Amino acid sequence: MTADSSIESSSGRTDISRRRMLKGTAATAIGLSAPFLGPSRALAADPIEIVHWSWLAASDGEIWAQMIDNFNEAHKDKGVQIKMELVPEEQYVTKVLAATATGRAPDFGWGTAGKGAALARDGVTVPLDDVISEVGLDIGDFDPKAISAARYPKYDNKVFMIPMDLMSLQPEINLDHVAEAGLDPSSPPSTGEELIEWGLAMTRRDGDTVTRSGILMTGSGVQPTVTWGIVAEQMGFRRASDDLSTAAVNPAAGIAAMEWVLALFDTHRVSTRDVTDRYKAFGTGGGSIFWTGPWTLNGYVGQGLNFMTSNFPNIGGELRTYFEMGGLELYKQQDAGRYAATLDAVKWLSDNSFLWTTIGRGASPRLSILERPDYKTAGHPWSVRGAFVDGMEFATIPEIPVVAGPEFTIYSGGNFLARTLEGVWAGSKTPAEAMDALQERWQAGLDQG
Amino acid sequence: MNLGGGTSALKGAAAPLNPREPIDWIGYLFVAFFAAPFLIFNVGPVFFGAYVAFTEWSIIGSPRWVGIQNFDDAVSDEWVWVAFRNIFFYAIIIVPGVTVLGLFFALFVNRSYPLAGLARTLFFAPNVVSATVIGLVWVWMLDTQFGLVNNLISTVGIPKIPWLTSTDWALVGVSIASIWWDFGLAFVLILAALQDIPRDLTEAATVDGAGPLNRLRFVILPHLRPVLSMVITLQLISTLRIFSQVYVMTNGGPAGSSSSPIHYIYTVAIVRNLYGYASALAISLFVVILCVTIVQRFVIRETL
Repeated sequence: MTADSSIESSSGRTDISRRRMLKGTAATAIGLSAPFLGPSRALAADPIEIVHWSWLAASDGEIWAQMIDNFNEAHKDKGVQIKMELVPEEQYVTKVLAATATGRAPDFGWGTAGKGAALARDGVTVPLDDVISEVGLDIGDFDPKAISAARYPKYDNKVFMIPMDLMSLQPEINLDHVAEAGLDPSSPPSTGEELIEWGLAMTRRDGDTVTRSGILMTGSGVQPTVTWGIVAEQMGFRRASDDLSTAAVNPAAGIAAMEWVLALFDTHRVSTRDVTDRYKAFGTGGGSIFWTGPWTLNGYVGQGLNFMTSNFPNIGGELRTYFEMGGLELYKQQDAGRYAATLDAVKWLSDNSFLWTTIGRGASPRLSILERPDYKTAGHPWSVRGAFVDGMEFATIPEIPVVAGPEFTIYSGGNFLARTLEGVWAGSKTPAEAMDALQERWQAGLDQG
Repeated sequence: MNLGGGTSALKGAAAPLNPREPIDWIGYLFVAFFAAPFLIFNVGPVFFGAYVAFTEWSIIGSPRWVGIQNFDDAVSDEWVWVAFRNIFFYAIIIVPGVTVLGLFFALFVNRSYPLAGLARTLFFAPNVVSATVIGLVWVWMLDTQFGLVNNLISTVGIPKIPWLTSTDWALVGVSIASIWWDFGLAFVLILAALQDIPRDLTEAATVDGAGPLNRLRFVILPHLRPVLSMVITLQLISTLRIFSQVYVMTNGGPAGSSSSPIHYIYTVAIVRNLYGYASALAISLFVVILCVTIVQRFVIRETL
C-alpha cells in the first residue's frame, strides 16, 4: 500500500490520504470560486458574447439598456451579442483594474474623456487608432473637439475612446417659479447680475432662513465645486497651463470665484446649504435654477416637471461652461482578436446613437447625426434639450488629461478639490488658504505626469 | 468524589499519538471547507495588505517598494488627522449612547410589563436592518428642511437644526443614526445577563431596605460587569470602524466633519486608486484599534 492510497481504518471507514485530500480541496475551491473570478463570458465560439460594463444607473441608464437591446435584436442572427453588466460608478475603475490584472477584463465599457490617463499609462485601455481603420469607422464624421478629447497627449496622443455624447452644464429653470415671480422665460439670465436678480425673485424665505433656493446649491459636494470651477474659469483662472506644466494659473481669479459662490449663501442669500439631495430638490420644487447635465432630462421630463433649459450665463467675463464627454473604451484582452469584433459592435452603437443623443443624454459627437433634419424635433422637447446641444459651443472646461486628473476635476464631490473647497464653504478655511493647498497638490500632480 | 472517568479521559487526551496509527484526514477535510477560504480571502489579504503598505501599487503591475513613505505621507495628511479626530468624537457619543440606552431598555423589558415581548422585538429590530437602509431612512428623518425630527422639535419652538449639512452637526446626526442602529445588540446582551441574576439577591436587597437605585448600583450593575465590559469593547471596535452610515448619510462631509478612517481609506483606495497609501492607513487604524482595546480593557477591569 502506498502513502497515496486510501487506508481502511479499524472503524471500517475509508480514510483519505493527504494528497487526495489536498487535491479534493483544491478542486472544490477552484470549482466554487470559478464563477466569481471575472465577468462571465461564454466560452463557446458561437455566438460571440461581448462583455460590456456600464455605470449608467440614472434615468439615462434605461435608454442605454435600450441601445444594447437594439444591438442584440439587430444581431440575433449574426452570431454576436452584447452582455451588459452594471458596475457602480465609484468602484468602476478598481473593478476594471482587478479584472484586467486577472485577464478577465470586460471587452468594453463607459469612460469619461480625460479621466483615464492612468488606465492608458498602464495599458488597461487599448489605443484604438489601428483598430478604427480596420473596422472602417469614419473618424471624419466626429466633431474634431470630441476626437481631440479622446486622446491623451502624454501617451502618444492616441485615441483611447469612441465618443458617444458631448455634455455640458447648463441651467435648468423651473417655469412655475418663473411665472410666480413674474419673470419673462423668453429672456433667461445671461449675465451674473441678471442671474442674481432671477435668483432673488424666485427665492423664498422664512425669516432669515431660505426655504426655497432661487439658485439651487448644496453646502458641500458636487454643486458648489462645479459652480466654482465654471465661474473661476470664466474669470480667467486655469487649473493647469495649456502645456500641463504649471498648476493654478491666475490664482486671484480662483479666489474671486470662491467669494462669488460664498456670496450666494451669505450675501445675496439666494441659496441654502441645507439641501442634501440636489436632484430631488429641483424635482420637487425646492430650487428654481439648477445647473446640471443632460443626464437629468429623461427623469425630469418623465415626472412631468415644468422646466426649461437656458445657456449658462457669462458671470466672469469669458463665456465658458463645464465640458464632459462620455465614450466607450476597449480594455486589454488576452485574445487581441476580440478587439476588431468589439469595435465593430461599438461602431454600430455609435452609428445608431440617434436615440442616445436625443433621449439619453448629451449632444451627438457625430456630424451626420447633428445634421439630420429631425435631430431637433425627435426625442425630448428642444426647450429642455436645446441648450445642451447649442451650449456645446462654449463648453470648453475639460478634464486635465494627466494621471492625477481626478484631483483636478471640477465635477466631483469627493476629490481633493471638493474637500478643500468644502472648508471654504463651511468657513473653516479662507479662500486664500484653499488656493494655496490646491496649488501645491495640483503642481505635484502635474509634475508626476 | 469519584474522578475516575474524568482522569481517564484526561489521560487519553494527553496520551502521545501513535506515529504508526493513520491520521483521520476526513476531519481536516471538514475543517478545510472553512479554513481554505478563510486563509485565501482573509488571512492572505491581511499579510498582502501589510506588504502593500510599504509599496506604491495600482493593481496592474508589480508593487514598487517605497519603504515607510506611505506612513510618512499619512502623518502629514490633514484629512487623516481629521478622520481620526472624528472617531474619537464618534466614540464619545456612540459608545455611551448605545450602552446606556441598551441598559435602560433592558431594565425596562426585564420588568415584564405588558407588551414587554413586543418591546423586546421592536428594540432589537433596527439591528437586523442593513446600515445602508438605516442611513437612507435617517437622511430623510434628519433632513433640515423637510425632516421629521426638525418638524417635531420646531413644534416646541426649537429652531431647525442642520443635522447633516453643517460642520457642527453632521457628526452628531450620523451618531444618532448609529446609536439607533446599534443599541439593539447591547440591549439583547444586557437583557440576557439581567435574566441570569438570581431573583433571591434582589429580593434580599429589597428586604434589607434597598431602594431601586441602590439595588441597581449594588446588586444589578456588579453582576452586569462582564457583559457591560463586552458591550463597551464590541461597540468601541465597531465605532472605530464606522463606515456605512457615514458613506450613505454625508459621504464624510461637509468639509470632512463626519468622515472616519475607514471612509477615508475607502476614498483613497477606491476613488483615488492609491492602494499602497490606503493599506498604510489601514495598518495604522489596526494599531490604533489594538491600543485602544487594550487600554479600554484595562480601564474597565480597574473601574467596573
